[in-house]
Amino acid sequence: MNVELKNIHKHFGSVHANKGINLNIPTGTIQGILGENGAGKSTLMKILSGFIQPDSGSEVFLDGKPVVMHSPADAIKYGVGMLHQDPLDFPPMKLLDNFLLGLPGGIFPNRKEATQDFSLLAREYGFTFDPENYVDSLTVGERQQLEIMRLLFLGARVFILDEPTTGISAGQKEKLFATLKKFPEQAMTVIFVSHKLEDVESLCDRVAVLRGGELVGETQPPYVTSKLVEMMFGKEITLGERQPVQTGGVVLSMKNVSLEDVRMKVKNVSLDVRAGEVIGLAGMEGSGQGMFIRACSGLMRPVGGRIELKDKDLTGKSYHTFKRAGVNFLPAARLEEGLVPGLNLTEHFILAEEPKGLFIDRMMGQQLAEERIKSFNIRGKPHSTVESLSGGNQQRAELALLQSPLSLVLLEHPTRGLDIESVIYIWSKLKDRCKTDGAAIIFISSDLEEILQYSDRVLVFFNGKVSAPLDAGKTTVEELGQLIGGKGWADKGEAHD
Amino acid sequence: MIKDRFGNLAYQLAALLLAFGVVSLILISVDASPSETYKNIFKGSFGEMRKFAEVLVAFVPLLLVTAGLLVTFSSGLWNIGVEGQVVLGAIATTWVYRLLLESGLPPGLIIALAILGGMVGGAIWAALAGILKVFGGVNEIFGGLGLNFVSTALTIYLIFGPWKRPGVASMSGTVPFPDEFSLPLLANLRISPWALVIAFVGIVVIYFLLQGTYFGLRLKAVGKNFRAAYLLGIPTWQYAMYSFLICGALAGAAGAVQVAAVYHRLIPSISSGYGYLGLMVAMLINYQALWAVPVALFFAALNIGSIQLPIVMKLDSSLSGVLQGVLVLFVLLAAGVRQKFGRKAQ
Amino acid sequence: MRTYLARLAMLAMALMLVLSACGGQPAATEEAPAATEEAPAATEEAPAATEEAPAEPFVFGMLLVGPYNDNGWSQAHYEAGLYVEEKFNAKMIYLDKVNPADRPGTTPDQLAEELVAQGAKLVIFNSDDMKDASTTFAKANPDVYVIMASGDQVWEDGKVYEPIPNLTNIMGRMEYGKMIGGCAAALSTETGKIGYLGPLINDETRRLAASAYLGAKHCWEQAGNDPAALEFKVTWIGFWFHIPGFTTDPVDVSKDFYSTGFDVVISGIDNPVNLAEAQKFTAEGTPSTGVAYDYVAACSAAPDVCLGVPYFNWGPDYLTAIMSAADGTWESQFIFSGPDWSDINNHDTSAIGFVKGDALSDENAAALDAFIADLAGGLNLWTGPINLQDGTAYLADGEEATDQQVWYLPQLLEGMQGLSASE
Repeated sequence: MNVELKNIHKHFGSVHANKGINLNIPTGTIQGILGENGAGKSTLMKILSGFIQPDSGSEVFLDGKPVVMHSPADAIKYGVGMLHQDPLDFPPMKLLDNFLLGLPGGIFPNRKEATQDFSLLAREYGFTFDPENYVDSLTVGERQQLEIMRLLFLGARVFILDEPTTGISAGQKEKLFATLKKFPEQAMTVIFVSHKLEDVESLCDRVAVLRGGELVGETQPPYVTSKLVEMMFGKEITLGERQPVQTGGVVLSMKNVSLEDVRMKVKNVSLDVRAGEVIGLAGMEGSGQGMFIRACSGLMRPVGGRIELKDKDLTGKSYHTFKRAGVNFLPAARLEEGLVPGLNLTEHFILAEEPKGLFIDRMMGQQLAEERIKSFNIRGKPHSTVESLSGGNQQRAELALLQSPLSLVLLEHPTRGLDIESVIYIWSKLKDRCKTDGAAIIFISSDLEEILQYSDRVLVFFNGKVSAPLDAGKTTVEELGQLIGGKGWADKGEAHD
Repeated sequence: MIKDRFGNLAYQLAALLLAFGVVSLILISVDASPSETYKNIFKGSFGEMRKFAEVLVAFVPLLLVTAGLLVTFSSGLWNIGVEGQVVLGAIATTWVYRLLLESGLPPGLIIALAILGGMVGGAIWAALAGILKVFGGVNEIFGGLGLNFVSTALTIYLIFGPWKRPGVASMSGTVPFPDEFSLPLLANLRISPWALVIAFVGIVVIYFLLQGTYFGLRLKAVGKNFRAAYLLGIPTWQYAMYSFLICGALAGAAGAVQVAAVYHRLIPSISSGYGYLGLMVAMLINYQALWAVPVALFFAALNIGSIQLPIVMKLDSSLSGVLQGVLVLFVLLAAGVRQKFGRKAQ
Repeated sequence: MRTYLARLAMLAMALMLVLSACGGQPAATEEAPAATEEAPAATEEAPAATEEAPAEPFVFGMLLVGPYNDNGWSQAHYEAGLYVEEKFNAKMIYLDKVNPADRPGTTPDQLAEELVAQGAKLVIFNSDDMKDASTTFAKANPDVYVIMASGDQVWEDGKVYEPIPNLTNIMGRMEYGKMIGGCAAALSTETGKIGYLGPLINDETRRLAASAYLGAKHCWEQAGNDPAALEFKVTWIGFWFHIPGFTTDPVDVSKDFYSTGFDVVISGIDNPVNLAEAQKFTAEGTPSTGVAYDYVAACSAAPDVCLGVPYFNWGPDYLTAIMSAADGTWESQFIFSGPDWSDINNHDTSAIGFVKGDALSDENAAALDAFIADLAGGLNLWTGPINLQDGTAYLADGEEATDQQVWYLPQLLEGMQGLSASE
């Protein structure tokens, strides 16, 4: 299906998010859309998928015919489906029911038939799901896969993916790309929105770059990375050199810790983490790293072993006890777990402070908010509600909520969905905090380069197995990739310091 | 921002007009004049001091219940059990009276203790809903409904059983207390200034609690995102319990006032439906404590003013309930429409 | 999103003000009551009233505990009010369903004040449930006359006597009606089991249930049956009528009676729900009948199974009291009126009456007439020996009960089943 966007404008109040964008996407291509956060990518894609309406004068053509889409349901009727950055599914439902949602047809869906279709489709794309399983038992990566399947099932011809590779492992990404590369053969059009140059370069037939709401350029292979980066940011940026840190005393000590949930067991992990150290946790989604990081924060109770924080035994204590001891956990699902939608930045900062007396000093709160907003470079006002912020700014706000004194910061996908600038900023802030407070960091990421770049040591998880800590300076993306995929474990052995 | 406010007001005005429009249509369909009806309701509630005093009699428990519900709504809880908490407040108040009437203590002290007892009674009943929710995993709506039924059954049991009038087994209620044990009323009116004071203290405390304290902010965080609130270090289930206790105490105070200032005894429907009516008020004002006073007064006025309808116009006074319900529906509808429309407009 | 929702309420209030102002301005001050009194009854009455006397009609108010058309207690009062309007230059305003379940948050004294505000110079409280409120109201409004029907506050020989000059008690001697009803039941029962559907338990309901029993026992024995074979059981529901959630359902009680061999149920509550059940059971092959209560036309609910109805005829006493209030000869008194034995169904003279129902056989009807004639001739069933339910002697052999002994009967009688609710 051919997609043509003509003179797309969109205002949000005083913000001009799309400034007259013209873009023609031929049938059967994989179109990359590059741009940093706030460049207008998401707005453009939401217009194309019916979530929001463009300003008048804007026109969308599908196969040459002008269309007006009032809702995502409308869009899917025209064959346009969108996969979101934060998967829009319904956590307490069964996979199958989630899948059945939005299907055309009667009041009583034919569950048996749907189950068959579901399994067939899943096999075709190499996803393994139990249709009777519940959505909230899936990882974010798996949820994205489910959403992709649902859109395929609904018969999408134009397929919009908004940062699809951020939540999933390298293996899943490869599988996804292989899938997407088949789409053009079936005359399907793929629009791939990302800030990851590597992904765009390896997948897309053509790339359009947005900056500041405008289309600043279109290129075709062969891509020149530095050129793309320049188009995105107006200047060239690199991650910079790895900086080894001096480490202090032991902050966290895990001794033969065993964890268990319904799906997985992690056995006998021992690990000492020192002040100033950064530990990266690598592995496919749901390989045990989530349980591990939750155990470190007291959110999951170990079935065996001891967890000590600065020589204090906290085994089996609650998260709040850990928190009082200086442990902060920043979950991946920012609006679901990390922040309180409906409350503004000032209120968040007040909440994170120790109460002084009974009544809130509003002036103090306002000042505090202004300070934090400035020092964490958050694009927002003290009275902005957190849900009105972009993903990167939400992440900065979460960082700004870190308590003081701090001894251990636990992060799940701290930079998922963020542009390079934000990634660099957030890590520099994090490292700063750790240096001043003498805190250690443990983080989960599916981005191996990020892990290598920022970790001192790396633990690799595979199906509940935990590798011995690897020196990040000596290992490579290849080695980690192999371990994540379950290869080369013989010489790495199990766990332990 | 200003434009936004205008838009909001327009939606509410539309909702209000629609609500009155629908009720007017109902009236016309039964051959009653809407303007006559509204006039009678208005005259019956604000027409003279005595009637306004009756409005205040209904306003006091309604405001107390609403104040309590603001707390549970803030923490994300649907405290349907508030009706039963009013009842238990009344039962506890009656119980304290029965214990102390013969004690020789000064009546003022007995009244104070009885009202305090009512607050404790309501809080305990709310705590039950809270315990069911927090430890038993029973949704507070179902737990509350169940407890409401139990509270009614308990009232009936007490009135027919241990607390019955000598030689009588009737729904009419327990033996009235002597006059000196009820909250003093204004001369020639049925409203007690003390009851008004209790109600206003209640709403003012809740206003400041929710607007200005760390406690209130934490409650809101718990209400808006339980998970995140926990990760931010707020002891979430304790806060849920606190909000139940506060709401229960205020509902209990409403029940206490019903006994100490209105009925002077325990009657079967002592709560007079103020719990459910309070839920409507709280929904309508959407957490805004400031608005509790005018809206509760409006609802109380509808309740009292509509007594005129059967007397003067041979209309059923449940019409006021229809108007209240329709109003809440349309306001929620307007908010929904606005939300949908608003999102599209972005 | 809904920050300003609440502003709405203010608007609503303002709107109400505006609407009412628009609607009411022309007629607002002078003619308000007349303009609003558009009920059909009022318009019918109006011309007659003006013909008879150009003077302002005497306005009296009435608080009815149940619906004005309940086919029972409240309707009997309501029609008595119409009777007064017919016989005298008077106008009734009334409020029905005056009970805490139907009008939550209100008190009868408060509602009585609403009637006064509408011009009532006399207020009738029609239920025992409102006794305390009538006292409160009478004391607070010494200028307003009060009739407390079924009450005993101003009975000098009563237990709770309190002089309240503007209050009068009126009650019919329903004991006779109940005796006749009990007799009809005893004559008609095949099983010898009579059920009594009791409201709440108090002095009044005890004496009426006991009277029904005395009538039943008398006629049962007169007909030559074995006294021991008569079963008479009282089940109380808890109020004068069914209030869902608060009282026992009288339908269930009736069902229980009819399904356990009680083929006659006497209603002691404000409406004849037992008749509908009797009809159902009869239709299903269990011949069942019932005795209604309170309202002259109550049998109309199910004439085929109705043995008859003892009813109140409040009209004459109300008329006398209201006329005395109007002409200034009012006296606070306790009125306990019996039937007019020359014709107990005389609408203008008899305070209580009995209408036979279709279900009463001709033979039994004749026997019942004979019983009524005996009563008229001086037969007093409240004559000893009568023992209370617990066996204590209440009336010695040959002793006739005083009004106090009848009114304040402390328990049910020996031979009756059911709770007495004594301490």
